Amino acid sequence: MRKELIISLVLLAGTIGLYSSLSLMEDPRAATFPRVVIIIMGVLSVALLLQSAIIRQKSNKPALQGTNIEDKDEKNSTAVKNKFPLAQVFICFILIIIYFAVMEWLGFYVSAFLFFVAVTFVLGGKGLTLRKGGGKVGVAFIFTALLFVWFNKLLVVQTPKGMFF
Amino acid sequence: MTEFLQYFPLALTFTNLLTLILGVIGGLILGATPGLSPTMAVALLVPFTFHMDPATGLILLGAVYTATVAGGAISAILINIPGAPANIATLLDGHPMAKQGKSQTALYVCFISSLVGGLFGMVIMILFTPPLAKIALKFGPSEMFWIAIFGITVMAGLSSGSIAKGLIGGMFGLLISTIGYSPLLGVPRFVFHDVLTGGIAIVPALIGLFAIPQVFALAEKLHVHIERPDYKPQKGVLFKTFIQNLKMVKALSIGSIVGSIIGVIPGAGGQVSGLIAYDQIRKFSKKPESFGTGNPEGVAAAESANNAMVGPSLIPLLTLSIPGSPTAAVLLGGLLIHGLFPGPDLFLNNAPITYTFIASLVLAQLAMCVFGLTMSRYSYMVMSVPNLYMIAAVSVLAVYGTYSVQNSFDDVIVMFSLGTLMYIGRKFGFSAAPVVLGIILGPIAEDNFLKGKLIADTDVGAFAYFFTGPMNITIILLCAASIGYSIYGEIKAYKKAKEKMA
Repeated sequence: MRKELIISLVLLAGTIGLYSSLSLMEDPRAATFPRVVIIIMGVLSVALLLQSAIIRQKSNKPALQGTNIEDKDEKNSTAVKNKFPLAQVFICFILIIIYFAVMEWLGFYVSAFLFFVAVTFVLGGKGLTLRKGGGKVGVAFIFTALLFVWFNKLLVVQTPKGMFF
Repeated sequence: MTEFLQYFPLALTFTNLLTLILGVIGGLILGATPGLSPTMAVALLVPFTFHMDPATGLILLGAVYTATVAGGAISAILINIPGAPANIATLLDGHPMAKQGKSQTALYVCFISSLVGGLFGMVIMILFTPPLAKIALKFGPSEMFWIAIFGITVMAGLSSGSIAKGLIGGMFGLLISTIGYSPLLGVPRFVFHDVLTGGIAIVPALIGLFAIPQVFALAEKLHVHIERPDYKPQKGVLFKTFIQNLKMVKALSIGSIVGSIIGVIPGAGGQVSGLIAYDQIRKFSKKPESFGTGNPEGVAAAESANNAMVGPSLIPLLTLSIPGSPTAAVLLGGLLIHGLFPGPDLFLNNAPITYTFIASLVLAQLAMCVFGLTMSRYSYMVMSVPNLYMIAAVSVLAVYGTYSVQNSFDDVIVMFSLGTLMYIGRKFGFSAAPVVLGIILGPIAEDNFLKGKLIADTDVGAFAYFFTGPMNITIILLCAASIGYSIYGEIKAYKKAKEKMA
């Protein structure tokens, strides 16, 4: 329930921030529709805040009678948190950022190949043998080659250019 | 019906048929792949249609939409993981059948029933869509504004556990649609960075909101082991199953009728239709206890229902811009990108494209059955694709799809930022579908809101213009009913959870 409270407070702060940014618009008439939307969003954020506060309060009541639901929730959420593979998601995030960064330099196809190899090696690196590694590079190469034929030769579409393609 | 028959041959050209077949095969593979949602598959395909003729592009999207719904049953039956929410009811009897060594029969029942239900749904769609589109002719700016809001309320209730979160998502989508230069006054709005100057285009938003969270979700499940199904196809099963399947008149009828009715209700979706049909066939059965243990009638009812839903779910989409499911919302984006605006105009000025699209959906049902039956013997291979490859492939395709819209790297940054934000939002119970619908319907809502306000200021006033008149009141009541029903559902679920805790 703490999660719900946090998100509703963040949303409320966001709507207040957006509402105040409306005054920066050159023509106030352009703010008419966004203003209505932001007001509704603010009302909904307050509703979410109240909902989470009420549920939190009700969840706390049985605790007085001996069953600490909040504790149970905390324990469960801690268990989930421990299991949550944050490192994998974070590595994936970083790999994508690096992929974007090198794309303008190396071009779409080379960076796509390197990204494919990086994802399979970095995220799936456990128990990697020469044969398995070779297989992964092979799959990355075939995938990139297919992309090249499909986009460059058949569809003839533009892709981010770099020093190679 | 006359127009449908008149334009039917246009769907049979070599290019259109080839596109349809490729779309169906691709849709079946994508639907069967656990971890890839049909909505994301259609969103990733939208940019591929840019370089196509509008009718061909829509045929591709329609074929993928149709096939993913049926393809999702493959993983539901073989590994107990529904490929799409629409296939939840299928696994109740489909997977027990697979465990008894009847995978092949279950898959054949699934595809034959899907065809029966799908064709029934298409007939309903062909008969009811044009007359309903004519009603939309009577709509003015206020009604169109409320229709856009109704679409968001429906999607908010459908895809989020909490109606408040769903509506916040929808409002967030509406706000995103206002980024950039105001269409009427030409002044910048919410341009906090140069990247946002041109506003946020639909395709980068679609891809970002559906594909990037999926990439991170796949990264979370990297080391989850999926058991490879034991599936050895045998000869002679198809004919036997075909006869057995056609004898399941009760299951097929219940599934087709329930699916068609649920499909027309905006936002109800395939998940609901499959479960209701399954529940009904169990109630009408002489052996209700056999359901859940591998009764093929359960598979037939669920699959005929979720495919019967496909055609009717497009009725509110094509007539009123209200998508019946998140995938239909993406399809709406595809229509708008090709300059096709739902409503009467679609059937009057763009009749050749629209009817070719509808005809192709009928053909897609047939192709789905033929290729589904053929491919089912190799379906276990699809489930062996490691998550690592899917992460890499989806990310690369997401970049291409986004970049190809305007050849702009800024769009790629916007796509990834929105996707990352959506991934975090999902952890807090938010869903992408209302946000996407807000982005798609935003310009329609704002344009009609401002037009309505101009009329109201010179005439009867804003309140009288927007809140009176039978059409306005009906749509407002529908919005209220949609929100009210979701709140009722939430309270019911909360009480149930509380009782369980006690």
